[in-house]
Amino acid sequence: MADDLKTPLLDELEQGPWPSFVKDIKSMAGKKEMAKDLLRQLEKSYEDKRGYWKHGGLVGVMGYGGGVIGRYSALPEEFPGVSHFHTMRINQTSGWFYTSEALREITKIWEEHGSGLLNVHGSTGDLVLLGTRTEELEPTFRALTEKGWDLGGSGSDLRTPSCCVGPARCENACFDTLAVNYNLTHQYQDELHRPMFNYKYKIKISGCPNDCTAAIARSDMGIIGIWKDDIQVDSKAMADYVDSGMDVQGLVVENCPTGCIQLDGKEIRIDNSNCVKCMHCINVLPKALSPGKERGAAITLGAKAPIVEGALFGSVIIPFMKIEEPFEEVHDLIERIWEFWDEHGTSRERIGEFIERVSLAAFLEGIGEKPLPQMIKAPRDNPYVFYEEYFAEEGEGE
Amino acid sequence: MAIPVEQLADEMYEIVKESAGVKKLKGGDLTKAMVAKHGDEVSRSDVKAAIRILIDSGRCVYGYFGGSSIELPHTEAAENQ
Amino acid sequence: MATEVERKTDIGPPHYDQFLHPLIKENYGKWQYHETLAPGVLMHHGPAGDIYTVRVSSPRLVSVNFLNAIMDLADKYSDGYFRFTSRNNVEFLLASKDNIEPLKQEVEALGLLVGGTNNAISNVVHTQGWVHCHSAATDASGLVKSVMDELAEYFTSMKLPAKLRVAVACCLNMCGAVHASDIAILGVHRTPPKIDNETLPNLCEIPTTVASCPNNAIRPTSIEGKATVKVDEEKCMYCGNCYTVCPAMPLADPLNDGVSIWVGGKICNARTEPMFTKLAIPYLPNNPPRWPEVTSAVKKIVEIYAANAKPYERVGEWINRIGWPQFFDMAGIEFTKYHLDDFRHAGTTYRRSLHNRY
Repeated sequence: MADDLKTPLLDELEQGPWPSFVKDIKSMAGKKEMAKDLLRQLEKSYEDKRGYWKHGGLVGVMGYGGGVIGRYSALPEEFPGVSHFHTMRINQTSGWFYTSEALREITKIWEEHGSGLLNVHGSTGDLVLLGTRTEELEPTFRALTEKGWDLGGSGSDLRTPSCCVGPARCENACFDTLAVNYNLTHQYQDELHRPMFNYKYKIKISGCPNDCTAAIARSDMGIIGIWKDDIQVDSKAMADYVDSGMDVQGLVVENCPTGCIQLDGKEIRIDNSNCVKCMHCINVLPKALSPGKERGAAITLGAKAPIVEGALFGSVIIPFMKIEEPFEEVHDLIERIWEFWDEHGTSRERIGEFIERVSLAAFLEGIGEKPLPQMIKAPRDNPYVFYEEYFAEEGEGE
Repeated sequence: MAIPVEQLADEMYEIVKESAGVKKLKGGDLTKAMVAKHGDEVSRSDVKAAIRILIDSGRCVYGYFGGSSIELPHTEAAENQ
Repeated sequence: MATEVERKTDIGPPHYDQFLHPLIKENYGKWQYHETLAPGVLMHHGPAGDIYTVRVSSPRLVSVNFLNAIMDLADKYSDGYFRFTSRNNVEFLLASKDNIEPLKQEVEALGLLVGGTNNAISNVVHTQGWVHCHSAATDASGLVKSVMDELAEYFTSMKLPAKLRVAVACCLNMCGAVHASDIAILGVHRTPPKIDNETLPNLCEIPTTVASCPNNAIRPTSIEGKATVKVDEEKCMYCGNCYTVCPAMPLADPLNDGVSIWVGGKICNARTEPMFTKLAIPYLPNNPPRWPEVTSAVKKIVEIYAANAKPYERVGEWINRIGWPQFFDMAGIEFTKYHLDDFRHAGTTYRRSLHNRY
């Protein structure tokens, strides 16, 4: 370790059982002035209780408007190593699967061209390369594309879609989350790299209502696996659970939100017409129960964090659709949504805020979908209805 | 008759130049301006192609402050040497 | 220029197929069930055979050295195949059960923990903080490290009533989207932006800046003939929207910036519908490097939850069962006017029945 690096506050974060980010940054400090000055500036932040970054808005690679976040130190003379400290977002693989052979190519490139520090992964899902200089952006981009990697989104564009582990290692996946994630990321490269939207548009894809990608909370568009028919039961495995002494009555039956499960000796009886596909019984009894056979996804729109008009969860816009190769129905839906939002949305208006402003009824009409009772918790409780149909007196009108 | 994309690019460049320092324009603003001017003679994909000409040639750049915009190249205030 | 390789764009990510372990490919879409063999160790059963997952903690902000060490272990124990979870854990995918114990030992020798499965506190989703962000009101990585040092035993065990998801965001932008976590730690500014009237006219568009405020607190004005903006401080809720579009309106205030604690959110649909987090503690000071006020507040909430919730009951479900008055009482948290919502649709959070506990 370099002797001239004095960071007594940060040094305290090298202690303790949880892995230390300080240790990791320090491990680069011998090789990279950037890592060393990052620690120095961060130490100053810890002393002064404030950040020292400016936000830049122009840097990028040629032709792209997304994928690079400009960042400059507010104290470049004191910390010249982080005078530039730009981020590059890289499209992650579907389900975040890697081989060491492939990821080593990225670590090698990043050690050569940047700070050697990364977020694995960023909140949207990208592999995030943290800290490089403006003049290194284009060479890094070239080196990455040579090895088959491309940049993700940023700004008012499509962000890199992300998906759960899906059929690659989960028995509950109701469709091929990895395939649709890969397909959408490739289908919409232009929308990812060249911002043309009113604001960001995030797509998250979860294979079942457990929603491991948090699509309902964190994505403008969620594609969340669901089934329509009966939960599949393996009676022998069910009997084994009962025989094992497990409190199936207390843990499963009494936790069912619609009370649609009954335990009859060693047999489970489910009133599937009343099941809301919450996943609890399947989660607790994975060997005995699994989602039905008629599988697809619900599409939710509008989830977001508070900025600007308050946090929103996604709302169900399509209660059920089949998600099958070559995913043309999904493309068609996405494009109808984008076209209506482009045309009628305002600057910095996310799709969720847009739908609340124009009303769900107007939005559905705009994208050509019919209203369905599955889209709401309850019908309106106020009488301020905008009636559009009128009777005319006889002899008048047509 | 469809308007040639090169012409759209030139027209949009003028709009970007005029609003430089006054209002940051988004891709959507430029699309709406072109549709307002030419009506059915331009499509969204033409406008997109024209923006790509402006960006790829370096006549315009993408900027970002809370949302993405299309601007003339310039040195930004945050930049350190 | 003839020798230069052609510049590629819009190639997208590589196909995932090449990153899937051969056993995963054979079982793809055919998995039958899974078992949790130990904290951090899963077995997924499929017709082509079982695959074993070893889940490992990560600080998320890592160096290439960290990844290279992970990849060395993957080469040694999992045929070079591994993945990351949506909460930034590392997962090694093993074809051989015999590799589990030696891998665990080597992982622990690196200073990493095995765990984060089932009824545990998994890795903490978080944001950039003072490490890399211009609008941070606190440091995310330091908070996560401090909190998880206190709660590490809940990562390496499965002794909680249900899974417990902690998230940290360093300002209201919530890049970490903490609004649906069991416990959320959120950096807050508490004073209006400080307007730099010298640079604002050059850096910012006045109409865009005015329009950025959700509370209409920003108005155009002029000072000594120069156009700028003014903020109605009564209306400002320190959200930082204006700073996002106008860098001449910074919010950082070392004396007043700090941390708020939120509880009871969830994302999955199991039993109850997804829920937003709700405010528990409006403000705790930034006290780096260890944020002791924050770590002890979070630990207290975890402990009363662990002692009182029923099996499978998430924090929000538990609080809904016992009621908010009891929660505040048990947690020893003072209830204040700041807990009363005053933004859009605030009325929906008022008690509009007599269903109260005394």
